[in-house]
Amino acid sequence: MSSVQDTVFDIIAKESGIDRARITPDATLKDLEIQSLDAVQIIFEIEDHFKITMPDRDPKFDTESVKGLIETVEKLLAEQATQPVP
Amino acid sequence: MQRVVITGMGAVTPLGLGATATWSAMREGRVAIGPITSMPRDGLRFGIAAEVQGFDPLAHFEEKKLILLDRVSQFALVAAREAIAQSGIDFAADGLGENTAVVIGTGIGGEQTHDEASRRLYAENNPRTHPLTIVRLMANAPASQICIEHKLTGPSFATSSACASANHALAQAFHMVRSGVADAAVAGGSEACITLGVIRAWEAMRVMADDTCRPFSRQRRGMVLGEGAAVFVLETLERAQRRGAAILAEFAGAGMSADAGDIVFPSEAGAAKAIARALADGGIGIDEVGYVNAHGTGTPANDPTESKAIRRVFGAHADALAVSSTKSMHAHALGAAGAIELVATIGALRDGVAPPTMNFLDPDPECDLDYVANAARERPVRAALSNSFAFGGLNAVLALRRAP
Repeated sequence: MSSVQDTVFDIIAKESGIDRARITPDATLKDLEIQSLDAVQIIFEIEDHFKITMPDRDPKFDTESVKGLIETVEKLLAEQATQPVP
Repeated sequence: MQRVVITGMGAVTPLGLGATATWSAMREGRVAIGPITSMPRDGLRFGIAAEVQGFDPLAHFEEKKLILLDRVSQFALVAAREAIAQSGIDFAADGLGENTAVVIGTGIGGEQTHDEASRRLYAENNPRTHPLTIVRLMANAPASQICIEHKLTGPSFATSSACASANHALAQAFHMVRSGVADAAVAGGSEACITLGVIRAWEAMRVMADDTCRPFSRQRRGMVLGEGAAVFVLETLERAQRRGAAILAEFAGAGMSADAGDIVFPSEAGAAKAIARALADGGIGIDEVGYVNAHGTGTPANDPTESKAIRRVFGAHADALAVSSTKSMHAHALGAAGAIELVATIGALRDGVAPPTMNFLDPDPECDLDYVANAARERPVRAALSNSFAFGGLNAVLALRRAP
């Protein structure tokens, strides 16, 4: 398990109050019965933790899998790493 | 029980300074949404809003008075002056002002004052807070300032229910005049919420559009913030007829409900309950209604939920309704929204014209009503509704009839 995945699982469990053992990469937020307001908080905590800005799209969180979230975070972190330091 | 009519309306909106200018712009389908000009846009994620343009406070208030007035009170006072002037009502005669109510809704209150005080305190470490901060930012300031300016001493207060604040204010005023608790009322809503803090807070909820406001359209991406005020004079039909006033519309009923469900996700049942209660309160049959000014925020969640709620109440007649969201033009002025939209609703009744839902691209299968896409349409309207459904699940719907 990557450290990003580990952290994302932690944040989802903490913000939504669900059992961490239920979270799998293939689960969608809808599968996990996560409400839209909790989903927005999860995104916020992820952004805050990794110091990134997630793309703002139509908030169809229920169709988004946990894996999709993790991949987005990893992509943003990789982009950050390749950017020249000002 | 008295019949209640509206004899004056005033507005300060992104579509124009004045109710007539605002309604004309709605008929023309003018969209006032654009890049924010009142602050640097680099701190903003999207940087679009509908701002009131060309409003010069010094054209309306002396400097000494202005120091007491947040922008939210300035808008409300200017709109109230216009409404009272149009109605021709004389509050000084026969002690009318002594029992005239003032109810003004606002979702946020004196936000610019609050923002400025916070900036001085936290950003500049300046411990000296302006002594008039409280009187400018309190949510009842717009109502109190209208009372003071027009010497109105009846029951007066602010209502606050986020995006339904104005409709709740108008509903309270209506019920007071109808029951005889007040002889007349000055009521509406005001909001001046375009500050960095408020915009960032809305952006953080991920319900804001980055392009424009496209209610009921498949390509809708969320809401856009607006600002402004609209204020109305309510009185009994009997008084209006006795003094020969021009009647703009009959205020027939108001219905309210709470979802008691999710704090943000709208409820079809809660919205339908408020619509049904407004019709019942006004004694309006569903077949009478020709136009519905929708809450129509342009968010993924509101528009299908509201469409289903309308269908639930109106059944087959839903297909005969013109339903539009004028937020596509003036954006979402939160606690002033219902008041600005009442200008549209009254316009539809008076002129027999349904204002359009602008910026409409393709229909969404989940939104299956007639949304008067992209151009106003002539059609006689005998009765009309104006919907407001707030975050927090608080709903308020107004029901109007053409002037008797």
